Amino acid sequence: MNARALALWSLSGVTIALSTGSPVYRALVLLCALNVLLAFRRPGVSLRGLLIALGVAAAIAMATTTLASHTGDHAFLMLPGGIPVIGGPLTLEAAVFGASTGLGIAAAVLAAAPLSLVLQPHALVDALPGALARTGAAIGTALNLIPGIARSATEIRDAQRMRGWRSRRVREWPDLAVPVVLTALEGSITLAEAMEARGYGSGVRTHYSEQGWRSTDLIVAVVAVAAAAVFVAFRVTGAIADWYPFPDLSWPAVGVAGVLCCLALLTPVLVWRR
Amino acid sequence: MNPRPLRVALAVPVLAIGFGTASAAARAGPGAPLCAQAASAHHAGIVVELGNAQVVRQCVGFDTATVTALDVLKASGIEYATATYGGLGVAVCQIDNEPASYTECLPASGSYWVFFISRGGGAWANSSQGVSNTTVGDGDDVGFRYDPLAGADPPPVSPAGTCATATPTPTPTPTSKPTSPPTPKPTPAGTAPPGGTSSSTPPPQGTKQPAPTQTSGVEPIAAGGPTTTPGAGQPSSDGSAAHVSDLAPAAAVSSPFTPGLLLAALAVIALLALLGAQGIRRRHR
Repeated sequence: MNARALALWSLSGVTIALSTGSPVYRALVLLCALNVLLAFRRPGVSLRGLLIALGVAAAIAMATTTLASHTGDHAFLMLPGGIPVIGGPLTLEAAVFGASTGLGIAAAVLAAAPLSLVLQPHALVDALPGALARTGAAIGTALNLIPGIARSATEIRDAQRMRGWRSRRVREWPDLAVPVVLTALEGSITLAEAMEARGYGSGVRTHYSEQGWRSTDLIVAVVAVAAAAVFVAFRVTGAIADWYPFPDLSWPAVGVAGVLCCLALLTPVLVWRR
Repeated sequence: MNPRPLRVALAVPVLAIGFGTASAAARAGPGAPLCAQAASAHHAGIVVELGNAQVVRQCVGFDTATVTALDVLKASGIEYATATYGGLGVAVCQIDNEPASYTECLPASGSYWVFFISRGGGAWANSSQGVSNTTVGDGDDVGFRYDPLAGADPPPVSPAGTCATATPTPTPTPTSKPTSPPTPKPTPAGTAPPGGTSSSTPPPQGTKQPAPTQTSGVEPIAAGGPTTTPGAGQPSSDGSAAHVSDLAPAAAVSSPFTPGLLLAALAVIALLALLGAQGIRRRHR
């Protein structure tokens, strides 16, 4: 599969998920993205951690909205008004709106997830336009350093503990932070020297193999972009109605065109070979 | 195991569901032509409470199961202007030339028109959608109140009685006995009941809709056009303010189970089945 086609697909999925408040469209985007992830994820990549994180994020969104928004006709619990922020009636409408918000977050993240769970990192950097190649490489390198720093911090903490160090007070934290920062700097310098030794920055980025556009890649890209464009156009013109549960909970208005736009995101599963 | 047959087997029902429902929705199309008679099958009331506490009442007839609140407003013949608010639909900016002018339909500070819905003669409730996205059925009422943003924030006056006299004019029964000719009710000059010419297409953003002109097929129950009831008052008991207008066909449907929602439900089932199939296939590998 072509990385740029997949990136366009991801962009379309995120656009649709974030341009509507309807939980129906968001659920469809989420399911399409989940299907694509299951079909094309790299061998050995597990979705368990991502799904747990998304479940927690959605639960937090729902809880926050339910506790902080006291709008709606159907109250199911009354908290004492003296409690700051959360005091007052907790309404069914706010809970449903929070759930829809969580669904939107999950759908958008799952639509973007194939960029990291399906593509190889070098393929993603290769897919960037020439002008962004260095920026992409720098960002990719920086992101790769984060887990390295976490591993380094764990190792240094264990080593300090073996020497009898205990982090009881804040002023003892520099004993851990200073070695971690120094190790990170040393690692960065080593990486920079390694990249320079391999010719980074000496000219235009070269590729071991160029990724071409096949007909299936074109189909995925065109269908995804067209679906997102049609969906956004219909949203702007009002042909696809938005959904708002306040003040009284109601069924979301769902149009056939909107559903078909969301289902178009399933194209990669249908045309790309696994 | 060759994945291609499985992929095709899964793709076919998904596409079939999509095209099948789309074609079903296309067949449904716009509603059947509406009866252009005052004796409409369904009626909905419209209550407009102006800023000076005057109340305008209308009763609107239609033959489809439901129509949008915007259609009711159109058919009432009351002057209005609207603005589009994206997916939330159309908001009403001006009714009966109030406010006389405006730069913002729903200003952050200042008065604006608040839209209410009463279902089956029940209490007024705020609508979560604009007038173009809200459907009403037989016995429902549409309410508008010009909120002065001062003092209390009550809904409009009760919709009770708005359609009380909006019954079809009974067909005179031939009789052998001589009867005295009916006494015509006094009709205010130049107040032809509106209706008939309203289009189902919502007005463009920020447009002003003058009261539609009378055309054929509209049969008023009682004389009088849009009538203003002085005072924040009670519903007009004599029904002199009520008349029946005809509506253009509305594409709205009353049931939440629209073709789109049914298609979405089928799509969710198909996508879940696809997920399950992929999981099973991965396990077999």
